[in-house]
Amino acid sequence: MDPLNEEQIGKLLRLKKFEQPPSAYFDNFLHEFHRRQRDELLKQPVWRIALQRAQDFMFRLNLPGLASYPALATALVICAAVISLKVYQAPETTNVAAQNRAPVVATTTLPDSHWSLSNPLTTRDLGPSLVRTVKDSSKTHRAATPPRYVLDSTPVSYEPAFRF
Amino acid sequence: MTLRSLFASALVLSLAVARADETTPPAPTAQAPEPSTTSISREVKDVFEKSGKAVVKIRGTDEHGDLSGTGFFIDPAGTLYTAFSVGGDTENLTVEFEGKVYPARVMMADLRSGIAILKADIATPALPIGKSETMEVATPVMTIGYPFDLPSTPSFGMVAGFDRKFLGRYFCTTHVRVNLPTQRGEAGAPLLNFKGEVIGILVAQIENGSACYALPIDAAEKIRDDFIRFGEARHGWIGINVAQAEKPIEGSTAEMTEIMKDTPAYGSGIKPGDILLQVGKTKVRQPEDVIDASFFITAGDTVPIMVMRGNDKLTFEVKADCHPLSPCAPRAATLTPGQGIPLQIDATRRTP
Repeated sequence: MDPLNEEQIGKLLRLKKFEQPPSAYFDNFLHEFHRRQRDELLKQPVWRIALQRAQDFMFRLNLPGLASYPALATALVICAAVISLKVYQAPETTNVAAQNRAPVVATTTLPDSHWSLSNPLTTRDLGPSLVRTVKDSSKTHRAATPPRYVLDSTPVSYEPAFRF
Repeated sequence: MTLRSLFASALVLSLAVARADETTPPAPTAQAPEPSTTSISREVKDVFEKSGKAVVKIRGTDEHGDLSGTGFFIDPAGTLYTAFSVGGDTENLTVEFEGKVYPARVMMADLRSGIAILKADIATPALPIGKSETMEVATPVMTIGYPFDLPSTPSFGMVAGFDRKFLGRYFCTTHVRVNLPTQRGEAGAPLLNFKGEVIGILVAQIENGSACYALPIDAAEKIRDDFIRFGEARHGWIGINVAQAEKPIEGSTAEMTEIMKDTPAYGSGIKPGDILLQVGKTKVRQPEDVIDASFFITAGDTVPIMVMRGNDKLTFEVKADCHPLSPCAPRAATLTPGQGIPLQIDATRRTP
């Protein structure tokens, strides 16, 4: 099909100038517009929809107005504190593995009065007075498991009736 | 009389009455009767404070693991009663007395009666021994025990009955059924009257601990007497089967149906068909009565057995043998009374 030249296009436009949609078209125009708009929106991937909503939220929050120097400084201090705590409390895995099956593992031996964040309770040496080995427990019946509290539901013996 | 004079008279009279009320000393009011619940509570508290020190927690180890029960001292030398289920087959026994733990050893354990006698080498308080026969239905009683890992705990109840059997099975002797709440860990606890005397030993509970059975202390003391005499429990055995007679004769319906061979009764002159009237000091009125009569027979003792044969009342002397459910140690047959203590049964030296 040959492309239209300028003169043909001009005729066509003059003809189209007098064309109008039927009257019912404008009655449903707004509803149809919204429907097509939603259809276009749903054609987008989910991540793009989420991104757009996030952008709208940030826009409404007016972040540039909040980003003052004191707020930034406070945020940085909190982040630094959290990260430092995480770093100090990480167990020294090499030392734990080197322990000889003690019931409570110890990284460093510190006096009981010395408490710090760098030596959490779970890795402190509680000292011999507080630690009992499994071998010790087996020598006594004061083990960690509770004893059997005795009161039978039946007497210990029964008799053959009427025989003496 | 005018209205004014009437008013004056009433005024004077009311003043006089008011004055009299002020001057009259208050009449001594009779002391209000103490509510019975308060009285019972005070008595339970008194016994608990007086007797609680002689009740101890017992711990040990058996084939199933660690166990915990209750016991009570019966002499100042540290001898104590407990249940067989606590001290019967138990090792590493300890008693917790006045906040300290002392080792204890088993002197004697008797499966048939369900009790054990332990000894801790310490000076102790002791509970007085009462009489089981003083109990009757609705007699108020209490116990002191160590439930679970809890401290010494009193519990109050009343005698509900005297049973020879439970759910169709016969006890070794009459047991006292007590409506008294108990918990696990209280096996071997003393059953006390309100004088603080021991009248039984808790051996079993019924239905979630709402009630319990206690061995009468008279039965326990019979076992202890055996131990003092012979170093062991010596349940006696005659060898007679008894059944219900068609009609009572001399007030008894216990008819002898079988004289077993190779038993003390065999050849003693007692015959099937005789009506049993009395065994030792125990009168027999029905076949069930032989359960108690049998329990209080000691092997080696001569037991008078009174029977009715026709119109004749006869008495036979029978020397009791060891009960088949609780055979005596073979070498104990050579013992004479008084040799029992300090006998220590050595299983390795027994005659095969």
